[in-house]
Amino acid sequence: MKLTIERATLLAALGHVQNVVERRNTIPILSNVLVSAGDGQLSMTATDLDLTIVERVASEARQSGATTTPAHTLYDIVRKLPEGAQVELSTGKDDARLAIVAGRSSFSLPCLPKEDFPAQTDDKLPTRFRVAAEDLRRLIDKTRFAISTEETRYYLNGIYLHAAKSAGVAMLRAVATDGHRLAQVESPLPDGAAGMPGVIVPRKAIAELRRLIDQVADPIEVSLSDTKMRFSFGQTVLTTKLIDGTFPDYQRVIPSDNDKTLEVDCRRFAEAVDRVSTISTEKSRSIKLTIGKDRLQLSATSPEAGSASEEMEVSYPGDSLEIGFNSKYLLDIATQIDGDIARIDLADAVSPTIVRDLGDERALYVLMPMRV
Amino acid sequence: MVIRRLPEGTVNRIAAGEVIERPASVVKELVENALDAGARRIEVTLGGAGRDLIVVADDGIGMDRSDLMLAIERHATSKLPGDDLMTIATFGFRGEALPSIGSVARLRIASRARGLGEGWAIAIDAGRVQAVEPDSQPVGTRVEVRDLFYATPARLKFLKTDRTEASLCHEAVKRLAMAHPGIAFTIRDGAHAAVTYPARPENLVDGRLDRLADVLGRDFAKNAVSVDATRDNVRLTGYAGLPTFNRGNALAQYLFVNGRPVRDRLLVGAVRAAYQDLLARDRHPVVALFLDLPPGEVDVNVHPTKAEVRFRDGTLVRGLIVSALRAALASAGHRASTSVSAQAIAAFRAGIAPSGTIPFAASLNRYPRPGVAEAAAAFQAPVSAATPFAPAARINEPAPAAGFPLGAAVAQVHETYIVAQTERGMVVVDQHAAHERLVFERIRRAIDGTGVARQILLIPEIVELDAVDIERLLARTGEFAELGLVIESFGPGAVAVREVPALLGEIDLKGLMRDLVDDLAALEEGIALRDRLEQVCSTMACHGSVRAGRRLTIPEMNALLREMESTPHAGQCTHGRPTYVELDLHDIERLFGRR
Repeated sequence: MKLTIERATLLAALGHVQNVVERRNTIPILSNVLVSAGDGQLSMTATDLDLTIVERVASEARQSGATTTPAHTLYDIVRKLPEGAQVELSTGKDDARLAIVAGRSSFSLPCLPKEDFPAQTDDKLPTRFRVAAEDLRRLIDKTRFAISTEETRYYLNGIYLHAAKSAGVAMLRAVATDGHRLAQVESPLPDGAAGMPGVIVPRKAIAELRRLIDQVADPIEVSLSDTKMRFSFGQTVLTTKLIDGTFPDYQRVIPSDNDKTLEVDCRRFAEAVDRVSTISTEKSRSIKLTIGKDRLQLSATSPEAGSASEEMEVSYPGDSLEIGFNSKYLLDIATQIDGDIARIDLADAVSPTIVRDLGDERALYVLMPMRV
Repeated sequence: MVIRRLPEGTVNRIAAGEVIERPASVVKELVENALDAGARRIEVTLGGAGRDLIVVADDGIGMDRSDLMLAIERHATSKLPGDDLMTIATFGFRGEALPSIGSVARLRIASRARGLGEGWAIAIDAGRVQAVEPDSQPVGTRVEVRDLFYATPARLKFLKTDRTEASLCHEAVKRLAMAHPGIAFTIRDGAHAAVTYPARPENLVDGRLDRLADVLGRDFAKNAVSVDATRDNVRLTGYAGLPTFNRGNALAQYLFVNGRPVRDRLLVGAVRAAYQDLLARDRHPVVALFLDLPPGEVDVNVHPTKAEVRFRDGTLVRGLIVSALRAALASAGHRASTSVSAQAIAAFRAGIAPSGTIPFAASLNRYPRPGVAEAAAAFQAPVSAATPFAPAARINEPAPAAGFPLGAAVAQVHETYIVAQTERGMVVVDQHAAHERLVFERIRRAIDGTGVARQILLIPEIVELDAVDIERLLARTGEFAELGLVIESFGPGAVAVREVPALLGEIDLKGLMRDLVDDLAALEEGIALRDRLEQVCSTMACHGSVRAGRRLTIPEMNALLREMESTPHAGQCTHGRPTYVELDLHDIERLFGRR
């Protein structure tokens, strides 16, 4: 293999794939990136066995071939090369070393045979559709905060994507929960997604996907089976295994008869929660909401740190109510609401509470109160 | 197959299998009999670790000839006057010990009843009465057991080494001696010097402490706090070792119920719970606790050797032990064990003075070692102005130490340890460990004050468990709810967790429930939950406390010392390590050969 490529192009491509590679691996080849040149393009593949990213860039190789080399080292080298440098990548006869030459710098990296690199199996991914990049970003952004980090409940360690009907309209729905709160966001169901199975996309794949599609404008090609899912955009293809588990029947925990409706100015509410929670103790972060006619008082007390309270005007017609929440959970949800007004539907101090964005019918959050 | 009634001898041997396991069981049964007979002095003699000979002699009320004949019959006893098993006030009551021993060994009982002029002796050999004859026995009873288990050679094979069996016999006497300070005990085993526990004033607090010191060693007496608490008609007395005076196993926990030594799960669990945040998980406290309650409140008839008992109101007993121990340890406040300072003293070495003459050993070294030469060069080099010489310790005039147990701070050394002068010596405080404990206690007080905030779960966690385990868990729902964990039954074989302590955030509930179940089964105490909560508090305390390496001013150091004096458990950090050591002036003087 022998080719010359512009540093910026190589850096961008490596930057996309190298994040997948774990810093420490028990299988040496997983630390490597598969670099292969031919047919007018250079492709780079990185995997952690669950998640694989392939990136292709146009590059005319003088001599085609492929090898694998430590991903993080290669990335660090290219990153430190001067801007505008032309980088020459070449392997010797026996493919044991990869030589990187740019100007007067030259490096030689150890290689492992490309045959040892985990091959991508060509599974059948029967469901195919295109989703607007903006919609996918929104589905991820507004739900990922609620993904569970507790490994024993693996089936909650991702976002549940599935087709659902909402008020008679078919929707692509994303749901995440950690057992304490839940986020549910929808976007119109793309053509071809109608028969899709419900899938749980793991947290790491979500994080990588979101990072990679940040600047993407074109629609994203999605294809999936019930064990694998692939996202293709630009020169990048991301393939992930799906979490093999059953997502809980989340609709049962979303109440439909919460009759006490509180409307707050979302930005002011978030600021007030943030201020008052300064007092609540480090770990449990509890905060109390005392709601009366058109008045809301937020308060927190801690025998250590003192007490705080703040009042704000709200729209609330119902009976007065006292309810406790984890202030971090409240803030997390308040941050997701883009509109001015948040609508909070309550039942009582021990039942699930629903929070909605008044300007966005397609997002809904459920939060469980705290007993304080 | 023909069913037949077993002969008396076989029946007795079967019973002996339960009651008489090893020489130590014989010793225990016989000493208990002596105690029941109102003896003031009991002498135990062992030969061949009890295998060849066990003699227990007492000065109790004794038996006359007819009693003696009956004593060796099975289910014959003087100790169950009303045939009422509900109110047992004596050690024995089954009437099984003597016939059991008699069926597996050569037994000779000589006794003279108080007020009678003549003594009698009876000899039994593997269950058969050999002779009844007059004897010159003084008032009291003397029981001789020879060739134990000669009639059941199988059992003989299962005995451990002489050393182990002898120490088990000693242990059996020790336990009974602890419970009866007023009675003198002597043990001779032929191999070692006789061990004597002189009679101490009966039922006086001091007498008991003296006896405990006799048995457990002087260190225990110095490092124990007295416990005395009563709830309803249950009274707990005894001594609890300071947390810094700990052991690697739970063998040094002596528990007595109405004077009877027991090894009971409930009691062991309660002790564990009381010491929970004071000791690391693998360290165990030393305690001697005596529980007195009306005989009707406790069932001792559940175990052949009575090592286990059953309480009518276990919760009350557990609660009493935990709260009494906690209160006693809290009152001990900042006391750290004296064994800690003893170790510290032992660690001191007389300094080698830098004198002009080269020591003999050094002159043998023909070539100077390079390390020494370099060090010498560095030492002789002029101190550069760029690196100002920092004092190793900042020394200050001590404020008057009167009235403060931890004295007045004098200096901080290595920016880690506070040296303070007390009235009778000096203390060295580990500032981080001490402050960590103070912060921990403050956090815990805060939590106790407000209660544990509970996060209600949106999706309850269903945990599958054994039906027995579920029973145990559900019996404690109230207690768990106070700690923030709300569980309820979820069909057979599962529980639903509805609310969790907010402090723990997202946790592995299945793991927690399994740990809780294990704790309940082993100790009848849900330690795991408290453990997790304390771990969180402990981490918070660690982050929120003054680190080693932080410079403190004298007022700051004094403030720390004063707070330590007023905070419970300030003598040890959350892992049971001491937060300070105290050096007595006396000890310091000894170090310098002034005394």
